Amino acid sequence: MAEKKTKDQKIKLALFPGCSMPTEQYGYELSVREVMPLVGIELVDLQGFSCCGEPMKSVNALMTLYLSARNIALAEKEGLDILAPCAMCHLALSDCMHVLGSDESLKKRINEKLGSEDLEYHGSAKLYHVVDLLYDVVGLEKIEELVKKPLKDISVATHYGCHLLRPTVIGRPVDAEQPKKMEEIIKICGGSAPFYPEKLDCCGGIVQFNLLESALTKTGQKLKAVKDAEFSCFVDVCPWCHKMFDARQQKAAETVAAKLDVPVLYFTQLLGLALGVDSKKLGLFLNQSPMQKFEEVF
Amino acid sequence: MTIVDLTSMSSPQVGERSEINNRLKRLQEEVSELCYQCGKCTAGCEAHKLLELEPHKIIALLKRGLVDEMLNSDIIWTCMSCFKCWQRCPQAVPPVSVLFTLKNMAVASGKEIPGSYTQMMQSLMSIGLVSDVQSVPTQDGKTVSRDDLGLPPLSKPVDAQKFQAGFMALAMEKV
Repeated sequence: MAEKKTKDQKIKLALFPGCSMPTEQYGYELSVREVMPLVGIELVDLQGFSCCGEPMKSVNALMTLYLSARNIALAEKEGLDILAPCAMCHLALSDCMHVLGSDESLKKRINEKLGSEDLEYHGSAKLYHVVDLLYDVVGLEKIEELVKKPLKDISVATHYGCHLLRPTVIGRPVDAEQPKKMEEIIKICGGSAPFYPEKLDCCGGIVQFNLLESALTKTGQKLKAVKDAEFSCFVDVCPWCHKMFDARQQKAAETVAAKLDVPVLYFTQLLGLALGVDSKKLGLFLNQSPMQKFEEVF
Repeated sequence: MTIVDLTSMSSPQVGERSEINNRLKRLQEEVSELCYQCGKCTAGCEAHKLLELEPHKIIALLKRGLVDEMLNSDIIWTCMSCFKCWQRCPQAVPPVSVLFTLKNMAVASGKEIPGSYTQMMQSLMSIGLVSDVQSVPTQDGKTVSRDDLGLPPLSKPVDAQKFQAGFMALAMEKV
């Protein structure tokens, strides 16, 4: 568990971007880079990161472990802990630490191969996602102090994403069945984040690679429930989930024969707005879902 | 072995298959001892309603050793890896891990890889990421790149050959 840092102490973390965020989900990257320094987190860019391997776990799970170990080793070489804003990356790196932590011979085998890039995996780096970093390390108190534009009358549907929630046994940053870290941060920023029964439902994103229609149906079903519950907006913390809910919202609407107009934001975009950051700097103009409804209330 | 061999798995890989077989055997022993077919995994399964995946039946088939039947079925490719089955199992059995292992075995046995996995694998091998940097649309119909947005250069393996050497060596290793 991360210890709470004192007010002015700078925390330095390597930003592990993964594949989706730095190649197309720029709204997430922009808002993470804007918000983190404001709350006292310094992000360090390292060259040489690769995919975490999770998208290819169905093809070769051993390769997933190797790639995750490789990325952790890169940060360890610089003596840095890691921020992985992507829920899928976070799961892959957590799983790698969990598996290699109890399998010395596999760790040795992987380290032999990592030698070709002059890397060595130790498993000593701490790993954070945006949600636990804000809640456990920065803390509600500090966030409350920094709020400039309260989220008055904003009701937010939160979506954590499967990979962030489960399985607890490998170590996850939030509770699997009743996550509340985002809800509490939204509350401290002056908004509300009521429960809705579909909160833990999957976006379907993983089967977009082979069963796109089904993936879109999952997305559509969840968004329809959010629309019917009349939330002001929907927030997520995973670039793969976000792409489904945001850019693919209209396609998803077709699969469930519904009219959808749910404003979808990254959690860091919403938080950035509450902290008074200009919406352009947070990349809000890159969101493809209809933002009008949200802009009317905020 | 070339990229094409590794992605199309044109010739079945002896080393990798024996590794995956060991994993399957371990899982089989584990589930045989622990799973009592309560069905909680299927009750929560995200792929159940839509795609008829029934994780408890996957476990039942594994218990009986009916692996080939599952390797030849598309059903193993419907898992959404939501991890609810593993999270909620009263006996801590992970059907999702069984499904990953079965898919790995199907690939290593030279069966057709569905969807865009092969394409992603090729991208991974050439640039280290499953997709390359793209320009994206804005709300007012313009197109912007990473550079336009003032974002720093994309982080990816500096020496692609050395990067490939590492995980190719792992894939080809005989265990």
